Amino acid sequence: MLQDELKSQLQSIGQADILVGIPSYNNARTIGRVVQAVGAGLAKYFPEARAVLVNSDGGSLDGTPQAVAQASVDLENILIAHRVNPLHKITTPYHGIPGKGSAFRMIFEIAEALKVKACAVLDADLRSITPEWIELLLRPILKQGYDYVAPYYLRHKYDGTITNSIVYPLTRALYGKRIRQPIGGEFGFTGELASYFLAKDVWGTDVARYGIDIWMTTTAITRGCKICQAYLGAKIHDPKDPAADLSAMLAQVVGSVFSLMEEHVGVWRAVRESEPIPLFGFQFEVGLEPISVNVDGMVKALELGLKEFIPLWEGVLSEKVLNGLKGLSPSASELKFTDDLWVWVVYDFALAAHRRLMTREHLLRSFTPLYLGRIASFILETQQSSHEAVEERIEALCRVFERDKPHLVQQWNHQVNRGGQP
Amino acid sequence: MKGLWKTAFIDPLREFLGQVGAFMPHLLVMIVILTLGILGAWGIKSMIFRLLVAIKFDQICGRMGLSQTLSKGGVREAPSHLVSRVVYWSIILIFLMLGLGALNLKPVDQFVAQVFSYLPYLLVAIVVLIVGFLLANFFGRATLIAAVNAQVSQARLLARAVRLAIILFALAMAFEQLGIAKTVIVAAFSITFGGVVLALAIAFGLGARDAAKEFIEQRMKRNQHQKEEDFSHL
Repeated sequence: MLQDELKSQLQSIGQADILVGIPSYNNARTIGRVVQAVGAGLAKYFPEARAVLVNSDGGSLDGTPQAVAQASVDLENILIAHRVNPLHKITTPYHGIPGKGSAFRMIFEIAEALKVKACAVLDADLRSITPEWIELLLRPILKQGYDYVAPYYLRHKYDGTITNSIVYPLTRALYGKRIRQPIGGEFGFTGELASYFLAKDVWGTDVARYGIDIWMTTTAITRGCKICQAYLGAKIHDPKDPAADLSAMLAQVVGSVFSLMEEHVGVWRAVRESEPIPLFGFQFEVGLEPISVNVDGMVKALELGLKEFIPLWEGVLSEKVLNGLKGLSPSASELKFTDDLWVWVVYDFALAAHRRLMTREHLLRSFTPLYLGRIASFILETQQSSHEAVEERIEALCRVFERDKPHLVQQWNHQVNRGGQP
Repeated sequence: MKGLWKTAFIDPLREFLGQVGAFMPHLLVMIVILTLGILGAWGIKSMIFRLLVAIKFDQICGRMGLSQTLSKGGVREAPSHLVSRVVYWSIILIFLMLGLGALNLKPVDQFVAQVFSYLPYLLVAIVVLIVGFLLANFFGRATLIAAVNAQVSQARLLARAVRLAIILFALAMAFEQLGIAKTVIVAAFSITFGGVVLALAIAFGLGARDAAKEFIEQRMKRNQHQKEEDFSHL
């Protein structure tokens, strides 16, 4: 499916050892720095490798491809004197559904065509990337025999709330692997795994959008890949487009997790406990930028959601969860969305999606106010807490997810008749 | 006296009995057709019910929100029961018409022919209504969810308006199909629909100017909040 121009470009390159992929859409402000860091990282740590940088672009109008083309590294400036293989740069538009997953698909196609040994993918909006990220994501693949490297960052205590409240605890409870940033955005993996990803028939689903990260991580876990984590320091990135629809993003990520549960039920049902995953890299302290959060807006979203959606959830969520939600106080001073209730909410939504009790899109989108309510409650509870204390709170939440997993397993294949629904 | 008795009583009675005798086979045929119809309807009803259970029709209706709507309307029966019952009574009705036709009575024959020629239109109208009802539920719920997620305080009102508009549209199409007051229905629908749009435009432009201003200000404030919110959910 590669275009002729791209094909001839790949033919002229022949084969490569390393491919670094950067999906982008209107990232002219930051992508130049990312490309420079990649160039410096490859020159510094893999000077003899034949390396290719692929920018898979979604039709940017702000000059992103030009920024990629113009970005270059002054090797003398970073004290590199040894001979360095030239870095090939490819900028190409991707085809298919607009989204990060489709951009990755193009990167996988090029990786397969060039028969690369190792791949790394990086977000184009990064502001804190350093050349060391390239080494940390690729060396475990090239030298240590790992198949998949997940990132490990220091983030602000309220940054990455979907990861902290749903994806990390749920993935850990389901598959028994403590991968702290399963949807981090920066990954390293083998060329063979890239071909495996490419061969899967998922490119017309949410995987083509925001679901790609959790799909890659879960696929690596369930395939039995050797996985490790790389300590990358702080993750600071450009703020997301405020117009981006949170509800759609949440539905795509959570929907992907639920779809993967269907696909890998044989794997996760048997998992009883979680195990730590090796973490490479020097763990240094960093100062994190403060971020602002609109808690009142989140509480209002919860209030409106509870008022309007409770009738929709009758017969879809369990009585226990419905009663718990009805008992929530929609006032910022008294709101307490407990870990116990949150875990049951997530498990009930997973079960409702499994039993197809409501149109999938409606079910997933009706989840947004509950998510915002939970985040608001968490922020209110941990306002005075340190980064370490918040990490401990997330660990406690993970333990509740693991503790209540037998309920999920038991209910998964149990056809219940609730509220008159057959 | 004897002649009078014969003319006044015996001959009419004989003629009546003759007519009854001639009518009896038709009646018998009608009873047979009706009996076959009842048996056939019962068999087909059971078959349809099993088929609907097999394809998980109730769950599909649940997902579309139809079960909840029926439940709200006081219909406690499962949709699979409801559909199989409708099929049962439709078959009974068809066999009743066939049975009536077997009586070989001219007015009844004409009535039956009219009913049968009308049936396709009736079926199309029923299908239009069912599809319209399903679409109204689906889009009503989609609107409610989207509006709540966009934090529109009048989300339910908006969802009801969407649902009502689709149901009205389906009703107009069904009546048009049935040929009931065709021009009146189309005109009434156009006037109502146009009227609603005009009323909204006027209300928003004049009467509800303050509400519109408040709404836009709230939206702008919310966008400002979103811009202030610089953390990533992912």
